Amino acid sequence: MDRNVLFEMTLMPGTGKALEMKAGQILRIEQIEGLQCVDFNCFNLHDYKEFMHCGRTRTVHGFHPTKGDFLWSAPPRERALMYILEDTVGRNDVLFPRCSAYVYESAYGFDAHTNCHDIQAEAQREYGLTPDDVHDSFNLFMYTEISRDGRATITRQDTKPGDHVDLLALVDVLAVPNVCGADVMRTSNFALKPIKLTLFEATEADLAAAPKTPILRSQRTPKDFRNPTIKADRKLIRDSSYVAEFVNTPIRLEDFAIELSDEEAAMLDRLRLPVYGKDDGAALRDILFTWWEQKFLGAAESGAPAIGDRKA
Amino acid sequence: MAGRTVVVRLNQQQLELIDRTIQRGEAADRVSLIRKALREQAGKQRGADAR
Repeated sequence: MDRNVLFEMTLMPGTGKALEMKAGQILRIEQIEGLQCVDFNCFNLHDYKEFMHCGRTRTVHGFHPTKGDFLWSAPPRERALMYILEDTVGRNDVLFPRCSAYVYESAYGFDAHTNCHDIQAEAQREYGLTPDDVHDSFNLFMYTEISRDGRATITRQDTKPGDHVDLLALVDVLAVPNVCGADVMRTSNFALKPIKLTLFEATEADLAAAPKTPILRSQRTPKDFRNPTIKADRKLIRDSSYVAEFVNTPIRLEDFAIELSDEEAAMLDRLRLPVYGKDDGAALRDILFTWWEQKFLGAAESGAPAIGDRKA
Repeated sequence: MAGRTVVVRLNQQQLELIDRTIQRGEAADRVSLIRKALREQAGKQRGADAR
């Protein structure tokens, strides 16, 4: 596939780079020597308050987003910012945040150490952002798992030279990859290596490969906010004119009496969950919504609905 | 097992979902939908028990 190369650079250990990407451009993040984790963030280029949100991405695509998945922004924007067009390894992470100076000081005693938070902060400072604007990263080539006791764990990776992830910008973004600074952890197999970055113009075939995501009323932007002004000072002071306007409040309750036949009462007792004790109404309500989930939601088993699950 | 009256408490958001489900033809009214859910879930459970 012939793509027009717009930019190439080598990202050296301990560094990161903020790159402007227009919608329809592809960033390839590529192993040079292999065995190197790369932390990645992105922001809406025209409104930095919208940025890639690992929590939302994790909910939609699981702990290891890969080829065919999207990088989502946080609610209430909640839209696909980038699409993972290619992933030759298929092992990335959205469980861990970025490593930080505090980690290296508290666990290892370093006064200063390469760390992803500070590298991200330094790279995005080129665009006027502060260290507080760094957010959780999409960790490329990072092998993580959940242990049986619920903790996230890191193990070694086996990436090779040439392995890469291609990220297609669906909107204009500021993309910020950095070479993970962890050389005393398993993340990059105890060594820091350079990474190659290549920015391409997407071909028609690339663009056609990215599925369309739903555009819904609930995807709100500052024009929809009751307070669209970005707070410019640091101290939090109560707004004396504030009047709460929570959605759909007050919550109103309505009771429905249902005469269960002998047969239906037996069904209820077979299906009821122990958590509801003797509360027949709560047990039946649970059955009702469990039925609904299983009938109409793709993610019924996880209990965590994802974007695009709705069957009708 | 004796039949009995069960009171199900739902809020306006839950009712909106229920009513939209009724509008798509799943049941004639709210009580019928709850009854249908109970019967279908019980049927699934019987199927699972038989396997």
